[in-house]
Amino acid sequence: MSREALQESLSAVMDNEADELELRRVLNAVDDAETRATWSRYQIARAAMHKELVLPKLDIASAVSAALADEAAPVKVNRGPWRSLGRLAVAASVTVAVLAGVRLYNQDEISGVQLAAQQPAQQGLSVPQVQGPAVLAGYSESAEQPGPMANGVLQGQSGWHDQRLPGYLRQHAQEAALKGTESALPYARAASLENR
Amino acid sequence: MRALPLIPLLLGGWLILPAHAANSSPEAGDWLKKLAQAEQQQSYQGTFVYERNGSFSTHDIWHRVQDGKVSERLLQLDGSAQEVVRVDGHTQCVSGALVSGVTNPPESTARVLDPLKLMSWYDLGIAGRSRVADREAVIVTLSPRDQHRYAFELHLDRKTGLPLKSLMLDDKGRLLERFQFTRLNTAQAPTDDELKASELCKPVTLVASQAKQPVTAWRSEWLPAGFELVDSSVRKDPQGKNVVSSLMFDDGLARFSVFVEALDGGSAVDIRTQLGPTVAVSRRLTTPKGEVMVTVVGEIPIGTAERIALSMRSQDAQAQK
Repeated sequence: MSREALQESLSAVMDNEADELELRRVLNAVDDAETRATWSRYQIARAAMHKELVLPKLDIASAVSAALADEAAPVKVNRGPWRSLGRLAVAASVTVAVLAGVRLYNQDEISGVQLAAQQPAQQGLSVPQVQGPAVLAGYSESAEQPGPMANGVLQGQSGWHDQRLPGYLRQHAQEAALKGTESALPYARAASLENR
Repeated sequence: MRALPLIPLLLGGWLILPAHAANSSPEAGDWLKKLAQAEQQQSYQGTFVYERNGSFSTHDIWHRVQDGKVSERLLQLDGSAQEVVRVDGHTQCVSGALVSGVTNPPESTARVLDPLKLMSWYDLGIAGRSRVADREAVIVTLSPRDQHRYAFELHLDRKTGLPLKSLMLDDKGRLLERFQFTRLNTAQAPTDDELKASELCKPVTLVASQAKQPVTAWRSEWLPAGFELVDSSVRKDPQGKNVVSSLMFDDGLARFSVFVEALDGGSAVDIRTQLGPTVAVSRRLTTPKGEVMVTVVGEIPIGTAERIALSMRSQDAQAQK
């Protein structure tokens, strides 16, 4: 089967216009990492068109299938309450998988180590969200990578940030000191910024 | 039996949206009320340390409440002698390095800690007792109900409700900052002499409110639940070249500011940085009116700050649609 045909089917499934055959074709191919990457890309493009939020690297599908694969199929002989209980367990673990998937979002570079640990599992799915100017239509993001993750110090940021960022940090801390009830804490934060 | 498989769905819903306040301890709420009152009613003086990633400093504080007037003086004891004197929430003078960029919003009203409001975004709990600065303390925990804010652990003085120690923790339980008294005296109110600013403390003048300038032309399309706009202004930057719009948001405890500035052909790269509890995320956005730099600064997780930065929209652009 050609890739084009598969991609067409994917697109059809996403638009809810797939016929039985196409649906089957997609379901057969869904274990293929490349197909899944294509699927994710389509989702992002679609989200951009609809101006919906894109949850980066959110692959609920694989989490759900993993949960289902781990789940022992309920034994058929068990009738009545036990059978329902088995189903319940499957459904519960799917719920957990979905929740866990949602939780993935926002686990950011703040913990590079953990992210690195997650990375191998997601290699097949690294969606081109970084390069994609389509993410927010009308708002192009500059192509540069985010600055170095400076922890504790602002590392030699040239130009604009050297001038602006300290001022912004200061203004935030001082306005916070005026607004807050914990009066000494924002002040201490502001003072600590000057101790660099 | 047919309905049984539905139960996980219901449970799932319950996990996502737990009943308000059901998880919060009323006792913790009472302690927070006591804390809010203490700042307005209790005179004290003491020494505290502040620690965050890459910085440790010691400070003296004098705080006097007299006839409903709150006077306060803070002095850093190590490094440069940074000093602030405030009366009723208005900064009277500021020393040295702190000085540039200080403005006194004319109608700045300090917000009081509202436990009921906090309960919507944090689970309040009592985690036991402790001893700080030779005083008995009760530990109040504030655990965020979503991933858009940090957790706090407050050690409140059992006698007065004053915060003796305050820790901020991220979602993995790592310490982001520590504020802790090493000595606190609530028996004696500070004297006039102690509250008097030193010569290094430069008086701050009230910034003329810019002729009731309308609120900034920027707004955020997405905000984490519970954060409200508490302040917005449009002002010139210190060099007097660019106009900077700033907005401040607050969920009752955590705060962040958004600064929007036109780039005017200047070059700037996106940046994300974290200084202990405070993140700064700068994103360059291209708008119909040209390139602007959006900078989010605050005590919120970096992913949340980034999302806010990307959601900034100018009102005019909205109107054109």
